[in-house]
Amino acid sequence: MGGSRRTAIALLVAVLCIVASCASAQDGDGQASADGTEITVAAASDLRPAFEELAEVFTADTGIDVTFSFGSSGLLREQVINGAPFDLYASANSEYVDAVIEAGAADPATRMHYATGRVALWSSEGIEPPTQIEDLVDPRFEHIAIANPTHAPYGVAAEQALRSAGIYDQIEDRLILGENIADTHRIAESGNAQVGIIALSLVIDDDDGEHVLIPAELHEPITQTMVVTGSGTGAEPAAEFIAIARSAEGRAIFERYGFEVPDE
Amino acid sequence: MSDWAPLWLSFQVASVATLAAGAAGVAIAYLLAKGRFRGRGLLEAIVTLPIVLPPTVLGYYLLTTLGTNSPIGQGWESLFGRPLVFTPAAAMVAASISALPFVVRTARAAIEDVDPRLEQVARVAGHPEWRVAGLVTLPMARRGLTAGIALGFARALGDFGATVMVAGNIPGRTQTMPIAVYDAVQAGDDATARAGSLLLAAVAVVVLLAVTQFSTRRA
Repeated sequence: MGGSRRTAIALLVAVLCIVASCASAQDGDGQASADGTEITVAAASDLRPAFEELAEVFTADTGIDVTFSFGSSGLLREQVINGAPFDLYASANSEYVDAVIEAGAADPATRMHYATGRVALWSSEGIEPPTQIEDLVDPRFEHIAIANPTHAPYGVAAEQALRSAGIYDQIEDRLILGENIADTHRIAESGNAQVGIIALSLVIDDDDGEHVLIPAELHEPITQTMVVTGSGTGAEPAAEFIAIARSAEGRAIFERYGFEVPDE
Repeated sequence: MSDWAPLWLSFQVASVATLAAGAAGVAIAYLLAKGRFRGRGLLEAIVTLPIVLPPTVLGYYLLTTLGTNSPIGQGWESLFGRPLVFTPAAAMVAASISALPFVVRTARAAIEDVDPRLEQVARVAGHPEWRVAGLVTLPMARRGLTAGIALGFARALGDFGATVMVAGNIPGRTQTMPIAVYDAVQAGDDATARAGSLLLAAVAVVVLLAVTQFSTRRA
């Protein structure tokens, strides 16, 4: 009994060691970007549907795969500055890109504003949708989901819009803050908030609810900006990714997801 | 589940973390149980911190300690030619530190439970203290040690907050199972989120059942 238990423990340790050594072997190709067959793109959550489509075009054109890490622009900015192995940083706000450039973590010559995001009020089925932002004061909107304004550009825009509409103070204690704009969409979609202030790009295809565009004058423009952050072999394909975003095909994708695309 | 990479990575990360936290944890537990030295209370507090601290705070400290601007991060970079943060290795460090207190606390209780008379017998027989530990204390405490290490494994497998801060969310490279579940929820991919959650919960239940088995059966 004691012997078999000892054997079992020895076996377990052996298995752990084998798995562990596989891990350290795999660690070697941790930098997959280095071989030029793949780029890693850190992108704001509002870009998920449009970028996934754009990546298909990019891969078809170049044969290079794209791995995305989606998150709030602020979180990704910190990761880029702290040395995360991203080849491209796509923020929902150009100021965050400038911060990354200032920190010396990106190539300023590649900075590109390629789209402007719009925000919408989104409410799920089963609730009478608002027709304009002022309607949010109505008590039927018990909870209002917005992205966290401290690190998510859509949260900043939501707060600005609520303030411009003059209703921020009235609804402030009903706000629920999402970690990023996709998270905020989840909160509204789950019904835990009756309405959310969400990126148009995420709700334009969402048939589970209604959306109403918020006038762009109510907030600062949400300037989707990209910059190449990789200095190795990933830099050239990352620049190509930006070029494809600016191509006619890329512009059409962004327009389809409700972004405004700046002229040449 | 279409993609097994997160699960495989999670097992790798948790295995390394279990080996590291298991070895360090048992040693620290022995020290805390047997040692009488200044700063023992402080050592105990420090190794317990990961249980009490919010994982994000732990992750923030790790990012600052291991980041590219820190001495450790720069040392790693000069050794291996690339930063430690945002690699699987960083996930392993985060998981090890999260798992450590579970090993230490369980193992320490088990070591303190060993009948001191048996250890005394070994001492009288002329064995030095390290032999007493190897011959009597640790073998007698093995159930508790195994339970602690198993708990550590479960904790390492489930770490999210600290890992996502130091290792990021890079699919195929640093995206462990808990992070993949989070990402699937964000993407509105409920099927993946459900499958991943179920799998993690199942592993946790199995580990906890095994721990109960180990700690209730008497040697």
